[in-house]
Amino acid sequence: MSETAHEAPAKQQPFMQRHHFLLRRLHSLTGVMPIGVFLINHLLTNSSVVWGMIDPKAGKTGHGGVATFQHEVDFIHSLPYLIIIEIFGLWLPIAFHSVLGVYYATTGRANNARYPFQDNWRYTLQRVSGYVGVLFIFYHVATLRWGWTFLVPGGTRWSAEYAASTLAQTLRGHASGLTLAGVGVSLFYMAGVSLLVFHLANGLWTAAITWGLTVSRQAQRRWGYACAGLGAALMAMAWSAVIGFATLDPVRARLVEESLRSAHRAEPALTAAPDAAPRRP
Amino acid sequence: MPTATPNAPTSSRSRTVRFAIVRCDGPGKPERTELFDVPVEPGANIISCLQWIAANPVTIEGVRTTPPTWDSGCLEEVCGSCTMNINGRVRQACSALIDAVSPSTTPPGPGGATITLEPMRKFPVVRDLCVDRARFFRNLERIKAWVPVDGTYSLGAGPTESPDHQATRYALSTCMTCGCCLEACPQFLREDKPEAWDTSFVGAAVISQAVLFNDHPTGATLKPQRLDVLSGPGGVNDCGNSQNCVKVCPKEIPLTESIGAAGRQVTVHAVKKFFSGR
Repeated sequence: MSETAHEAPAKQQPFMQRHHFLLRRLHSLTGVMPIGVFLINHLLTNSSVVWGMIDPKAGKTGHGGVATFQHEVDFIHSLPYLIIIEIFGLWLPIAFHSVLGVYYATTGRANNARYPFQDNWRYTLQRVSGYVGVLFIFYHVATLRWGWTFLVPGGTRWSAEYAASTLAQTLRGHASGLTLAGVGVSLFYMAGVSLLVFHLANGLWTAAITWGLTVSRQAQRRWGYACAGLGAALMAMAWSAVIGFATLDPVRARLVEESLRSAHRAEPALTAAPDAAPRRP
Repeated sequence: MPTATPNAPTSSRSRTVRFAIVRCDGPGKPERTELFDVPVEPGANIISCLQWIAANPVTIEGVRTTPPTWDSGCLEEVCGSCTMNINGRVRQACSALIDAVSPSTTPPGPGGATITLEPMRKFPVVRDLCVDRARFFRNLERIKAWVPVDGTYSLGAGPTESPDHQATRYALSTCMTCGCCLEACPQFLREDKPEAWDTSFVGAAVISQAVLFNDHPTGATLKPQRLDVLSGPGGVNDCGNSQNCVKVCPKEIPLTESIGAAGRQVTVHAVKKFFSGR
């Protein structure tokens, strides 16, 4: 019948278009909260391997950084329902932000050659840092959290019980020293965290325009200074964390951790990789 | 004779400048670049050189070709129709003085003065430097860029306008729909299929016009409908904040402030709709 075409319901818009506003704003929101808030906490925790060294209380253990970092890790692992926090507070929001972010990034075409303005370079770098950041976070979580040790040079398995020594060994490639593959892993970490810190600082700046918090040019400039300041502070934490662990001697760190464990328990749990086993004197 | 005016030419002697023009015979036809050597008088602009080439359409190889085609109207950077890419940057051809665009006095050839002209790349080419900006006008219709006063009886005097408010809105009202902001935008991509226009990014100028008419006491009647479009696919959320638009705008319209204002209006609109909409 000829009417059939007219009677058929109007073709529904595709999912992405029907929920365009909600998805766009959720993408923006998840970048700030929980992901941005988590990144600040995460960098604060991980840079404790450096700032812990000036803690006079922790300094008595032989290496204040190792002791403070272990203390921080123990606190995180004491949180109730940690796996629920991880799945719904971190993994799902990061997966959502990543998948949508890559999709949105493909809707643009960078034109920096013709329009080499500073803002335009940040537009492009925001997308590049997103792409690299997704790869870096996947590698970071898969190797250290999910235990995909086949991706780690030297096959070190990170242990929450021996947090600093096994992390240092992961970055360095071997317990006894820095290997060539270890240099590669450390440089990848350096690039990954630097790009992600930029991504957060610049993302906070653009999110304020997206949500309409900063409207005037002056407001955008003022908020830009605040974001740059936050970015510089986070960059300092990120670099001190990566450099701190890449230069940490796993064997010495392990001895500090053993002494911390024996202070609390009679029998320390030996869950770390055999490579990291300390040679007791 | 050069005089002491702001627009005084930087050189007082006539010289030869080479023009590389991207030519195209019609929609879907292949592109080619043709070179012309043009004697340039002090104070000449791109349009006067194009007129010379149209009268003498002979390439540097001595081959006679068709006169190049371009759009132009007011010749004083108010109508926006002669917008094209000049040396890779989008701007109006009428206000592009040769002495400013290509100050080199070296004769044409390697290292000499060359000016490249190509059509805007975000709109379909009609012929040579003429493009079809129908999508731009369609987007202005989508966001209802007007004040609804048409009717069968007099609506009486309009609302009172303060000088401050007028000054803010005046800047936005100077938009001449030239498309520079769209050409320089990494989020505004060429789209030749009209059925895809209603879900593709509208771009800075159209967002700014929505803010202009939302801010008008009578134009605000259509504000919810404008914000429905701006919050949907192709609306203000598709902006990537590269802020190229505000830097290439020949009218120096604060386009990024309009985008921030539109973002705020859309946020408030969404909250209102969430709690009191149906």
